[in-house]
Amino acid sequence: MTTEPIIRVEHLAKRFGTFEAVKDVSFTVNRGDVFGFLGPNGAGKSTTIRCLLSLIRPDAGKVELFGKSYANERSAILANIGSIIEKPDFYRYLSAEKNLEIFARISGANVGKKDIAEMLDFVGLGDRGKHKVKGFSHGMKQRLGIAQTLLHQPELIILDEPTTGLDPQGIVEIRNLILRLRTEQNKTVVLSSHQLSEIELIANRMVIINKGKTIVEGAVQDLLDANDLQVRIETNDANAAKEVILSAFPITLITQINQRELEFPVHKNQVHLINQLLVNAGIEVHAIEPKRKLEDYFMNIISSEHVA
Amino acid sequence: MRKIAQLFLLLALPLFTGAQTADDVVSKVLTKLNSVKDYKVSATIKANIPMIKILPNEATIYFKQKDKFKVESKGITILPKQGFTDINNFLAKKDYIAVINDTVTTGGVKTYLISVIPNSAGGEMILAKLWIDPERSVIMKSQITTKSNGTVTTSYTYGDQVKYGLPSKMVFEIDIKKFKLPKSVAADINKSSAEKKKKAGNKGTITITLTDYAVNKGLSDSIFK
Amino acid sequence: MLLKNTWNEFIKILSKPRSYLGVGALTLLIAIIIFAMKADGKSIISFVTASFEQTLTFNGHILNGYLIAFIILQMLIVHVPLLVALVTGDLIAGEAAMGTIRMLATKPISRTNIVLSKFIAGAAYTLFIILWMGFLALFVSTAIFGTGDVIVLNSDGLVILPEADVLWRFGAGFCVAFLSLLTVSSLSICLSAFAENSIGPIVATMAIIILFTIIGSLDVTVFDSIKPYLFTTHMASWRSFFEDPVPWSAIRESVIILVVHNIVLVTVAVIRFNKKDITS
Repeated sequence: MTTEPIIRVEHLAKRFGTFEAVKDVSFTVNRGDVFGFLGPNGAGKSTTIRCLLSLIRPDAGKVELFGKSYANERSAILANIGSIIEKPDFYRYLSAEKNLEIFARISGANVGKKDIAEMLDFVGLGDRGKHKVKGFSHGMKQRLGIAQTLLHQPELIILDEPTTGLDPQGIVEIRNLILRLRTEQNKTVVLSSHQLSEIELIANRMVIINKGKTIVEGAVQDLLDANDLQVRIETNDANAAKEVILSAFPITLITQINQRELEFPVHKNQVHLINQLLVNAGIEVHAIEPKRKLEDYFMNIISSEHVA
Repeated sequence: MRKIAQLFLLLALPLFTGAQTADDVVSKVLTKLNSVKDYKVSATIKANIPMIKILPNEATIYFKQKDKFKVESKGITILPKQGFTDINNFLAKKDYIAVINDTVTTGGVKTYLISVIPNSAGGEMILAKLWIDPERSVIMKSQITTKSNGTVTTSYTYGDQVKYGLPSKMVFEIDIKKFKLPKSVAADINKSSAEKKKKAGNKGTITITLTDYAVNKGLSDSIFK
Repeated sequence: MLLKNTWNEFIKILSKPRSYLGVGALTLLIAIIIFAMKADGKSIISFVTASFEQTLTFNGHILNGYLIAFIILQMLIVHVPLLVALVTGDLIAGEAAMGTIRMLATKPISRTNIVLSKFIAGAAYTLFIILWMGFLALFVSTAIFGTGDVIVLNSDGLVILPEADVLWRFGAGFCVAFLSLLTVSSLSICLSAFAENSIGPIVATMAIIILFTIIGSLDVTVFDSIKPYLFTTHMASWRSFFEDPVPWSAIRESVIILVVHNIVLVTVAVIRFNKKDITS
């Protein structure tokens, strides 16, 4: 995999009236990435993605796609992008085929009727081309949306929450479709979601944003490293356990939840040593519950969002 | 009022009686007009009426005794409501008093100005003033006042058909005081009131030039249907 | 790209049921007027000529197709703006409401071209409406009632136009009527660029037309200075071709004012749409 950057976003900011939707978002997407754009609802994902597509003009920061900026090369950039924002919306009074014809005509590429038929087949709508979109289910529209993004053979595909509102089978279908785009067509895909599990399954790199700011960016494998854990330990005496652990391990972020429970970050290889240490010190260990650190962090964001 | 007018005319009668009485003059005119059983004539109608703009138009006029009258034109033509046959019809009934008021020179021709007043009050006609050329027994000018149409003054010019008493040109002078434009969707709402007030005079004329008479050729009744 | 998207806009307009609503309404209205004229045209005409007919007689084929075409135009020109706005007011805002504006604005076509293509398509629809109205008014009326001179009641009296002198007046009248309806189209497209649903621009367009028409018809001195610049004042300019003599300078002035309106409205729409954050 190359590391040629296709998207470069630096210190992006956008305000709507008094509301700061995006404060400071930066990330880079490389050619061939399936890039996860993760954040809870209201984190600023949609605004950032709309800035990537020139739908929204940022107040500050830099957005560069294919090494070009929207200020001078808008058409050249957009000719190379296929996108679905939030949900795919089509002209309800037109057939699937006619809708694709409309968008293909202004896509900057030569797309014939045959290409449209092939694309409808690719997304599993081969027999529904003549049907009006107003009779389509959400899943069918989503697949038609994917067809619309691919029709002009763009290098970059941006999908904003593509599985929202789909049933489990629909989610699997879209997920497989995205994986095929990566493996069969070698596309660069930016995928926004508020579900870590979804990103984890298909993305190779990701960024997490929250409250309009970038929290972390990197390879999914590194960020979700299974060795880097957040452990919750339940003992008969949390104070004693904390003293024993700190005497042997340089852990700074140890949190005492109550009289019995502690929580702290630790490497996977150290968990059994801590257990042995506590048992040797005569402390009863009732439970050890390991969680992946990033997942835990993300879950905290989500849960605080729900509480709020 | 009518009675008083009649009385006045009767009293004035001896003052103006010349060689011919008014009745003689009028009946000679009538005889001449009655010699025309029918006619067909080409007319050029030129209307100069404030509030109406129309280009001169060609028409063919058909007449047959006693009162069949028809105007045939390709386009729209405007004619005075009375003037062609009304005076003939009225005089033919002989239910009037005719009085010579004066001798007047009109259009270079010496004429008798004769007032004709209907005897019965029920008719449309209130008063007719006729300027008659006694030499040729033709009406040179008429001024007819009717109940519903006001006063119409007509001047006559004669040509080839003078022997039948048929004019070659008639100029009608019409009173347009009564014209009021309806306020309707058809009016141009965007014109300001200042523009609407721009009206010139209250007299209009319709000039009819008559050529190519075909007199007493036996017109079929079907033409007038 | 402008032409390609204009073609797209044609397809969309042709596929929308509301486009046919206007055409259908227009056809029905004209059919009703023609029927009424056939049934009782003479008394309708005499309403206009009654005052003159005390003294004068009007001879000839007065109730003819040309006159009926004129009456149809006169009666419908007030209502056609609604039919035009119904379609053109939806062109941008309707896409915002449907969400397709996002798809459109992420294609390699400039936003200026998006607005211009919608303006061109709106203009074509307006032209179609005018031509359809002209076809029904002129050809159907003359087929039923024949041709003849036209009696026109203007504010300063009757004008009787010879048959041979009428067709060019209709042609020129239709051109100016098109220009005034185009202004309605541009206005609704401009308002459409500010809205997220199509009802707003349609209602706003009609409200502006009604307001301006009322201001234009009030004989109040304070409005006199603005009246000449209201586009509604010039919407009946097509009628000037049926005056004699034709007031060319007034028509020229109306054409200039309407063209300026169109340019300003389209420019505002382009600027607004270019600056607009698409958040729908």
